[in-house]
Amino acid sequence: MAGHELIAAQLAILADRLPAQAMEELADGLQEAYEAQLAKLHDPDVAARAAIDEFGDADTITAAFVRESPWRRMALKLLTTGPLMGAVWGLTLLSAQVWDWPIPLAVRIAYGAVLVGAALTLLTVVRAKHAYRRTRIATLVAATALITLDTSMLAAAMSMPSSAVWPLLVAISASLIRITATLRAMPAALTR
Amino acid sequence: MRAEALKGHLDGLLLAALEAGPLHGYAVKEALREITDGRIDLPTGTVYPALHRLERAGLISGSWSVVGGRRRRTYALTAAGRTALGGERDSWQEFASAVTAALRARSWPATS
Repeated sequence: MAGHELIAAQLAILADRLPAQAMEELADGLQEAYEAQLAKLHDPDVAARAAIDEFGDADTITAAFVRESPWRRMALKLLTTGPLMGAVWGLTLLSAQVWDWPIPLAVRIAYGAVLVGAALTLLTVVRAKHAYRRTRIATLVAATALITLDTSMLAAAMSMPSSAVWPLLVAISASLIRITATLRAMPAALTR
Repeated sequence: MRAEALKGHLDGLLLAALEAGPLHGYAVKEALREITDGRIDLPTGTVYPALHRLERAGLISGSWSVVGGRRRRTYALTAAGRTALGGERDSWQEFASAVTAALRARSWPATS
């Protein structure tokens, strides 16, 4: 059965916002809804409008996809565990007298700037309602930045002499868990 | 019924809709509407992301086929999904009994 231009236009709007795999399903579902309405109403224009109404407008559908997005979930987890990670590393660095470490000021400032940038990016992702693709890219960038920061902090902490062994072990474990969990979640999320 | 009222129950409803056999997204929404006598009629487009989440959780499994020249994804309950549905039923019965008991109209003793 042929489609309708209103259905095609609605699918074009959704295709600009959502991943291709989801679009195949949505296209099938919307066409199915249109055919069901056409069988009931016998008028293509009325049936197309009824099908779109039944299916939900583009903003409602996009918001539902954003809400259930694995990227948003990843952003939420990284954001909520951030304060704990900050506290653990803060305590470790204070115990290890970080101010004595031979790390240039520019590197310290750059580290802080990237950390704040990643946190703000994750916050934007969690608050976004209608930007599925931006959610995906922003979370990927922020997660990669956090992995890089974790790795460089691990390298720096392990290369510096420190008497604070226990805080350091806790901080290293926390960072390794975060790196592993983020890397494990990424392949599944990349398919969505 | 308002969508907000379904918060926390959507997973159980979707699993129940799939209990009778595999369905594609639009058919899941239609099954949900039919088994609730039209009282739960979600915007169809919002059902898909919830199905994807259930699939990621291993409670349903999806497979592609071609129907009428269109690619169609059909979902079926997994063994874990059946177990989860049983759990949803039990917790709903417990919740519903508690709320029913709490909201039951009581006859208060008359004061003199």
